[in-house]
Amino acid sequence: MSLSPEQRARIEAARDAALAEIEKASDEQALERARVFALGKSGVVSELRRSIGRLPPEERKPFGEAVNEAIAAVEVALSRRKEDLEQQRLMAELTGPRIDVTLPGRPRNLGRRHPISRAIRDLLRILERMGFEVAQGPEVELDYYNFEALNFPKDHPARDMQDTFFVDERSIVGGNFAPGTVLLRTHTSPVQVRELLRRRPPVRIVAPGRVYRCDSDQTHSPMFHQIEGLYVDCRVSFAELKGTLAEVARAIFGPEVRTRFRPSFFPFTEPSAEVDVSCVICGGTGRSSGADLHLAAPTPDPLRPEESIGEPARAPSDGETCRVCKGTGWLEILGAGMVDPEVFRHAGYDPESVSGFAFGMGVERIAMLRYGIDDLRLFFENDSRFLAQF
Amino acid sequence: MRISMRWLGEWVQPLPEPEELARLLTGAGIEVEAIERLGQGLDRVVVGQVLSKTPVEGSTKLNLCTVDVGQAEPLSIVCGAANYQVGDKVPTALVGAVLPGGMRIEARKLRGVMSHGMMCSARELGLSEESEGLMILEPDAMVGTPIARHLELDDVVLTLNATPNRPDWLSHLGIAREVAALTGARLIWPEVKVVEEGAPIEEKASVAIEWPERCGRYAARVVEGVRFGPSPRWMQARLEACGMRSLGNLIDVTNYVLLETGQPLHAFDLDRVGGARIRVRAAGEGERLVTLDGKERILSTDDLVIADAERALVLAGVMGGEDAEVSESTTRILLESAHFDPAGIRRSSRRHGLHTESSHRFERGCDPEAVRFALDRAAQLLVQLAGGTVARGVIDQYPGRREPQAVRVRFERTRKLLGAEISDEKCRSILRGLGFEEVEAEGGSASYRVPSFRVDVSREADLVEEIARIHGYDAIPETPSRPQLVAPAEDRQARVVELAAEVFSAWDLDEAVHLAFGDPEGDAKILREEGEYLLLRNPLAEHQRAMRISLLPALLRTAVENLNRGVERLGLWEQGKVFLPRATRDAPVREEERIAGILLGPALPRTWTEPERPVDFYDVKGMLEALFAELRLGELRWVPVERGFLHPRSACEVRAGDVPLGILGELHPLSAQALELPRGVFVFELFVEPLVRLARLTPRYQGVPRFPAVLRDIAVVVPREVSAAEVEAVLRGPKGAGLVESVLLFDVYEGPQVGEGRKSLAFAIRYRHPDRTLSDREIQPVHDALVAELHRALGAELRG
Repeated sequence: MSLSPEQRARIEAARDAALAEIEKASDEQALERARVFALGKSGVVSELRRSIGRLPPEERKPFGEAVNEAIAAVEVALSRRKEDLEQQRLMAELTGPRIDVTLPGRPRNLGRRHPISRAIRDLLRILERMGFEVAQGPEVELDYYNFEALNFPKDHPARDMQDTFFVDERSIVGGNFAPGTVLLRTHTSPVQVRELLRRRPPVRIVAPGRVYRCDSDQTHSPMFHQIEGLYVDCRVSFAELKGTLAEVARAIFGPEVRTRFRPSFFPFTEPSAEVDVSCVICGGTGRSSGADLHLAAPTPDPLRPEESIGEPARAPSDGETCRVCKGTGWLEILGAGMVDPEVFRHAGYDPESVSGFAFGMGVERIAMLRYGIDDLRLFFENDSRFLAQF
Repeated sequence: MRISMRWLGEWVQPLPEPEELARLLTGAGIEVEAIERLGQGLDRVVVGQVLSKTPVEGSTKLNLCTVDVGQAEPLSIVCGAANYQVGDKVPTALVGAVLPGGMRIEARKLRGVMSHGMMCSARELGLSEESEGLMILEPDAMVGTPIARHLELDDVVLTLNATPNRPDWLSHLGIAREVAALTGARLIWPEVKVVEEGAPIEEKASVAIEWPERCGRYAARVVEGVRFGPSPRWMQARLEACGMRSLGNLIDVTNYVLLETGQPLHAFDLDRVGGARIRVRAAGEGERLVTLDGKERILSTDDLVIADAERALVLAGVMGGEDAEVSESTTRILLESAHFDPAGIRRSSRRHGLHTESSHRFERGCDPEAVRFALDRAAQLLVQLAGGTVARGVIDQYPGRREPQAVRVRFERTRKLLGAEISDEKCRSILRGLGFEEVEAEGGSASYRVPSFRVDVSREADLVEEIARIHGYDAIPETPSRPQLVAPAEDRQARVVELAAEVFSAWDLDEAVHLAFGDPEGDAKILREEGEYLLLRNPLAEHQRAMRISLLPALLRTAVENLNRGVERLGLWEQGKVFLPRATRDAPVREEERIAGILLGPALPRTWTEPERPVDFYDVKGMLEALFAELRLGELRWVPVERGFLHPRSACEVRAGDVPLGILGELHPLSAQALELPRGVFVFELFVEPLVRLARLTPRYQGVPRFPAVLRDIAVVVPREVSAAEVEAVLRGPKGAGLVESVLLFDVYEGPQVGEGRKSLAFAIRYRHPDRTLSDREIQPVHDALVAELHRALGAELRG
């Protein structure tokens, strides 16, 4: 049994009408309408399928086969058309208008670390790589740790080197302290004594922290930061101190920096030294051309080397005196020396069997040199325009 | 200490040029702060002599003078001063001179008369603040001599910074010694010869040391028949070069010898010393003394005084009193040269707030052996400058005499300690050059007698330092640092602070650092809470008279300042200690590490991409949650609390179990008002110690789920008072049958759709089974159980 011509014509008409609709569709909505027109519940092709049931049984099979063929053709056309339309849409998008790439991006500012924290972090990284372990101590100290155990005798002018804030012991609840025995530490050196008492050699520590001196002007802040290093072992020598600090200075300021050790005095070290680095601004010349005077820039107190470096750090123009090193070619950045036997005595070490060195530096001064900050007071004013730069 | 090169040159020869000298001294540990050339601007000013003086026609003031300046022809100079006569010698500026004030001298016409120079006043030469008329020079001034040389102004002054251990560097003699040791130059002692006449001193005065522990030596001479008058120009010039004023010959002599030898002296008007008796004794409790600065001092028994038979005359070693001071009418002088206990002088000096040239040296330690030399030097100068005669003999009581001590140094140990190869012979020659006398040497060590002026040397280490100093630190090699093979302990606090810094950075908070002081009154207005403060005895300012008890007041004040500068958006954090004045067994106070912060203004930088929104509580909470997640603190409780400085509607404490970790919330409107801050400032303050203790810094891996999760949303309406945490607790509770993996609140709604006093909370619940894929059929009963439990426990209704 085969399909009658009428039947065939009916199927082909429906099919062709559907294909025409599909062909006509110019976007996805139109294509969907075309699909519904052809294959929807009452679509032209679906109608044919429904009419199968009304046919005599023997006609059903050939009719059904023909309808299925038509459906397949419509589906192929639909999917082809869909692909074409997608392709067209993609082409249109790719050749279409651009967004304004010059509009600002969505801002996500990152908060900044304070320059003092940055400097401490950088310095600790260097020293920790050299085997120094971080140690901390209290900021409210006893006279014993801050002075006496560090060989500052009572009634000795060496104590004048550090103007001390004394705590009013009457404001302390509990405990019984004599007047003048509780103070704000004037340096990080008491950590030396505390750590020597707590540990056994070899001791290699670094102690960063806040310290306090009763002095305030343009170049002195009553609170500032120091970093203290201590190395105690057998046969530690002054030569090793020189080698270590030269390395530290190069790590902070760059490989070409030179160091100079000058004799000085700290009660808790002997021999004691002040350590200068060649000026990082003028390269140690004091000016861009001219004599190297070999003088230290005047610093009234080497243990407090945070004072202002004067004008903004910048290279001097030809022949002009460098303002950062005041023409000396050198910047004082460290105090250092061999641990005094008296300190060992207080810590219960035998100075015949161990030796050691200690060094300290002012964090603010290093930060000023590293970041070109020209006024000490900026550190503690916390102007957001200042903070945002680090 | 100011050192005159001219003066120094009398003590040590040859003397290097100033810059070289400065380099040498700096290398030896004496910091040279400045090199100052005196007499600058006086290059073309010479001594001139007025030969003639005729009035200039048509002027009542001006005279035309001829002035001999040592050139072939005298100069014609017009001068308007009135205080000179023909024959006087005056400073004369030649054409081409540029005076210290900047005035350039040129040949010019005055009233039609040519003038070829200028006769000068002291002011014009920059020698004094004011002056009347010309500076008239001594008659013996050499015509034509440069004025700077004539006035001994052709000097170079070095400002030295001597370390407190080296009082022997506080004199020209001391620096001369150091220069001699450094350069090998010759030290020249001036010849001191005292011509004694008449009756012995014992008949004129007596001395009794009644407190020998505080006065180890007291020497005195009597000089009679002196006349008060100005000091000669050379002495004035030297005193001025060293920063002292000339006060007349009788006083200048003592100051001169002080600057020269470092030994402080005192001159008494002997006629005003009661009973001509000097008593060196303790002051009586409450005894009064009017010191030279005109202030009445109330003394204590710890003060040492020089007294006469009746009363205290001098606060020993610190400052003289008015009673027995020399004056213009003084003719008989008792000169004192003594040695006092350094610590005692320092206590007196500090107790009375008197820091003098004398106390500065005595408290550091003077040379007891220099007492006699200085006394004789002063007596000799006094006779030379003020006439008179020195009484026969000298009083010299020396109860504190000590044998010079010997110190042994081992040369091999010296080399090991310094890490430098310095031969025994080099070590010995360095020490000898510094005046250490070798008393014994054997087998690689030697003993040295310490010179009496070296109060800083008593141990081997002190000698090692001397060897290093003179050998030169530059000459000691640099040995690389030894490697350290001990693993350093983990610094947990530093890790926690670093993690916090990273989180705050991501939330756009800048780090601040404030002075750690507190202001009990000012801070109380901000904190609106009572607080116990650790007070300082000697604060620099009222608002810094205590140590802080919170980081917030300083942050808030900084916020105000930043707002005043036009900042709209601010996020700041700070880490630091607060100080709680409670003594513990180990420490006088409790130092507590805190991390605090403030946020105000728009939550995000202003941008075209989204509308501006002010920062709120949930910004702060979200940031802290991120931090606590970094620290892996696990479940936390956010508990409403009351704090003086927090707005009651959002004051919150965060706890891990029962351990408080910190507080957060909106700044109380009254605190904001006290600071003139706008509303909408949010603050937090965390306790670092529990964070460090509870933080899990090392992550622990948990298996990644192998089966998919099923997501179900649920929206419930609850009474307004029910907290989100309560709803969440139910969802995470036992009714979830262990299948609820996470709960995310994604919507909160209050409004007409849910009715008055109610709110809607919408959660996304993630169900997961570790071992299999869950089916809807399995989840549904669990989900229903949760809904039922919400209804039972909290009165929650499903939102339709």
